[in-house]
Amino acid sequence: MTDRTVTLAHGAGTERTRELLADLVVDRFGDAPADPAGVGLAALDDGAVLPTDDGAVVITTDSHVVDPPSFPGGDVGRLAACGTINDLAAMGATDPLGLSSAVVVEAGTPVDRVDAYLDSMAAVCDRVGCPVRTGDTKVVRDGEVDEVVVTTTGVARIERGAHLPAAGLSPGDRLVVSGPVGDHGVALLAAREDFEFASPLTSDVAPVAHLVAAAREVGRVTAATDPTRGGFATAVNELADAADLGLVVEERAVPVADATAGAAEVLGIDPLTVACEGRIVLGVAPEDAERVRDRLRDEPGGADARIVGRAVADHPGEVVLDTGVGERYLPVPTGETLPRIC
Amino acid sequence: MAETTDRRAVEVVVTGTVQGVGFRPFVARTAAEYDLDGRVRNTDRGVVVRFEGAPDAVSAAVDRLRSDPPPLASVDAVTASDREPTGDGGFDIDRSTADEERTTLVPPDTGLCPACRDDIRDPDSRFAGYWATSCVDCGPRFAVTEALPYDRERTAMAAFPLCEDCKRAYEDPTDRRFHAQTVACPTCGPTLSLRDADGTERATGTAALDRLATRLRAGEIVGIKGTGGAHLSCLATDPEAVERLRERTGRPAKPFAVMAPSPAAVERFASVSEAEAETLTDQRRPITVLDGNGATWLDAVAPGLHTVGVMLPYSGLHHLLFGRLDAPLVMTSANPPGRPMCTTNDALLDLDCIDAALVHDRRIVARCDDSVVRHVDGERRFLRRSRGWVPERLPNPVDAGATVLAVGGRSDVTVAVADGSSVVPSQHVGAVDDPATAAFLREATDHLLSLCGTDPDVVAHDHHPGFRTTDVADDLAGESHGVYHHHAHAAALLGEHERERAVVVAADGTGYGPDGVVRGGEVLDATLSDSGRVGGLSEFRLPGGEAAVERPARILAALFDEERAVAAVARDPEITLDAAATIHEQAASGLNSPPTSSAGRFLDAVSALLGCCHERRYRGEPALRLEALAARGDPIDVEPPVERRGGERVLVVDEAMTLIADLAADRPARDVAATAQRLLADGLATVAIRTARERDRSAVGFTGGVAYNDAITRRFRERVEAAGHTFLGHRDVPPGDGGLAYGQAVAASARLSD
Ligand SMILES: [Fe+3]
Ligand SMILES: [Mg+2]
Ligand SMILES: [Zn+2]
Ligand SMILES: [Zn+2]
Repeated sequence: MTDRTVTLAHGAGTERTRELLADLVVDRFGDAPADPAGVGLAALDDGAVLPTDDGAVVITTDSHVVDPPSFPGGDVGRLAACGTINDLAAMGATDPLGLSSAVVVEAGTPVDRVDAYLDSMAAVCDRVGCPVRTGDTKVVRDGEVDEVVVTTTGVARIERGAHLPAAGLSPGDRLVVSGPVGDHGVALLAAREDFEFASPLTSDVAPVAHLVAAAREVGRVTAATDPTRGGFATAVNELADAADLGLVVEERAVPVADATAGAAEVLGIDPLTVACEGRIVLGVAPEDAERVRDRLRDEPGGADARIVGRAVADHPGEVVLDTGVGERYLPVPTGETLPRIC
Repeated sequence: MAETTDRRAVEVVVTGTVQGVGFRPFVARTAAEYDLDGRVRNTDRGVVVRFEGAPDAVSAAVDRLRSDPPPLASVDAVTASDREPTGDGGFDIDRSTADEERTTLVPPDTGLCPACRDDIRDPDSRFAGYWATSCVDCGPRFAVTEALPYDRERTAMAAFPLCEDCKRAYEDPTDRRFHAQTVACPTCGPTLSLRDADGTERATGTAALDRLATRLRAGEIVGIKGTGGAHLSCLATDPEAVERLRERTGRPAKPFAVMAPSPAAVERFASVSEAEAETLTDQRRPITVLDGNGATWLDAVAPGLHTVGVMLPYSGLHHLLFGRLDAPLVMTSANPPGRPMCTTNDALLDLDCIDAALVHDRRIVARCDDSVVRHVDGERRFLRRSRGWVPERLPNPVDAGATVLAVGGRSDVTVAVADGSSVVPSQHVGAVDDPATAAFLREATDHLLSLCGTDPDVVAHDHHPGFRTTDVADDLAGESHGVYHHHAHAAALLGEHERERAVVVAADGTGYGPDGVVRGGEVLDATLSDSGRVGGLSEFRLPGGEAAVERPARILAALFDEERAVAAVARDPEITLDAAATIHEQAASGLNSPPTSSAGRFLDAVSALLGCCHERRYRGEPALRLEALAARGDPIDVEPPVERRGGERVLVVDEAMTLIADLAADRPARDVAATAQRLLADGLATVAIRTARERDRSAVGFTGGVAYNDAITRRFRERVEAAGHTFLGHRDVPPGDGGLAYGQAVAASARLSD
């Protein structure tokens, strides 16, 4: 028994989220899979890998709530499709079988809007070749949710052992990011608060399965994760944590779009700490890193791919940001904006 | 056996800091000088001496113990009682046992003593021109010692076996170098080497010093390996060289310390009070922050400030260098950006910013930065308590019966070990925000624990969820104990005054409060074990979080109505009118705008409002520049807006800022700056004094980084004393975050014994 309540910070995809998950979920469902080729819940990876006799099944699920439901560059429907397809891709499953989609709608929401969200979802599914195979719809009272909650589950088959675990990095591996970071998070904040900026902001929400597939065609990819909640900073910390090695990220190499950088500066937000919804961070064997980067640049959504860092044996579990004039830790954002400097 | 008639014998007990400072050899020399017999030994009561001889000589020798102790000793009491003369001849120094050594720590590092200075200048001395001479009264200690007991084989000097002459001196009780563990001469000691940046050796020994002087004179930037670390040096009087140093090190504005050849040379560019002169010439040689006198080269050394940090030469190397070059030198710590100071030749030669380096082959065991002090309101205050003072003990009012290790905060970190009735703070560690400094934190902790001969039962740390020092604490001991930031500051003040309770004002930049709010303008009713906020600054927002710390004009967005806010924020040349409008909206929405009650942020915001400083390029810059501006102005009489709010008394920050902005419309900025500082002092004093009266507390203290501000501290003390209270200010513990570890140790000890 405890009298604690869940706070918004628990949902921010940060250290607090991890604490809550550890307490409530991992203890209960986190038993390691019997088959070493599997990935279970305790790994807190992008999805689960369930080995079968002739291969493996990858499964992942996410609920999508977003404020506002429609934003520059996308909407909750597009987000729901991309989020799940990208989680599969981050597990190395780039050719999904299909999705399930459960929609909870707030009474009073115009039908046209729901229609538009589902259109967006369908467009992504068509492009990736990953149809919605099953679904569910529920209606709740006015105010019980904000317009819609969309829960998508994705399933894919892969060859046994072909998945990309978060823990796959080795010292020397390079980190490659497929494009500018922070576009989604900054665009969303601005839309939510109605802030105007000189250059328009657009979410990056897009599928990345083709990027992961292209990268694996030309090089040895050792790990992958999609930097969603908590942004790039959280994603790379998860990689360091999972593999129990250190990462060094060159701050100046991490791509940030000008419009996003400008808005982030005005708001005092670090683009490295807010969500992307159309990017992938890959660990790549050192000798293949440039080839992978160049290949990504030929793909839609990969034009600004960069090599941004490397794995090291020092400071296991920690990410160090090389700022060009010095080094500092790049922590997982805490979900509270507490200045540390004085 | 001598005749016992006409002889007098006494037993003398000397207490104070009298062990590990060459006291026994001093007693032996004194006995020899007065032709006395007897013995001397260390005990846990202090040094116990027996003198026997001619009655006049005995009295004179006892007086001598009191009046002329070795420079590193500090004598509390000399008590003599008569004994029966025995007629035994000779004078013995009893070796202390390892057990007795335990009660003593390794002594701190100090500057060269006058006798050694004479030796290196005396052409006939075997130490003539030798950079690394030392004796029992001076030289490196802490920085070269690995473990106790303090003997040569456990120091970096183990690599330099004594030559015949040095061995003789080491074994001669009447010699100043008797049992001086760091004794060395040109024959047996470490050697200097002057290298190009690529490592090529250009000269060694005294020739290396000649080259060093030549290259400095030519405007070069040179790394100099010293006692506990390394300096970057260039001619302070050559603004081009100083600019080059700034560019190459990426330190555009940080004030550099200066080393001047002599006290007379200091007087040529800074004003020195009698008390400051005493600090400056203290054998421990701290950097002393003085008011500059406007010399034109000072602005490159300390841009925009009215002060300059100055020290006098401390090692033999420095004295010899100034024998070749009679000009002040910049002496700033040599470190790769964001990392601790270099301690090895390779690390120093690896720096991209140097043209040459003077290195040597004596290993640095413990990195130890220069100490920095400033006389604030007439009292010496530590900005950094490190070389010369570490590892001395400070009082712990409550013995917890357990060893407490405290790990400090984030910036200016020190660690401290509380063991029994004392606390030993470590040297300066720095901002723990990168792996290299985190590694130094662990090293410094291990070294200190080994010197104290103890292991921690409990680790005390700050409550801020983002501080790395807390992670280190978690790794170090089973039990960890959080101490709130401003309680640690208050406990530090109470601890060094050995007081149980007081009203304490803790005014600084950032500290995580019990309610999760970033605090820093706190009036606390404090005891050693606990404290509660009774008032202070009202809360205001920091639009952009850390961005508002970096660009303080942002803070103004939260303090004014829209029109005034936008104009004020947009005065920052890096912020457009559109951006200023957005920042104002941001403050109103609360997005990424944490609330705070920080006095440091209030001063930063005033600095931006007056156009004095728009960007914090080093810690404290906006407030320091405001202080420099205010130093030229006169405060205008205003009443601080203080009111009751929800059980607290607060200085209402938005009203105060509006008042200041109204004044700024038609008064000179320097007068407004002085007014803002006074308003802050008055506001905090008003709340503190009323609280003290209501709660019947006799003492009112002032701590936190704002307590380095001369005018604010003075005004606050005057108000407190005028109201009939005892004022408590820091003497031995830094008011800033360098004193947190001590405060955490004291607070945790008190709480454990509750
Ligand atoms: Fe502080
Ligand atoms: Mg996910
Ligand atoms: Zn000496
Ligand atoms: Zn010698």
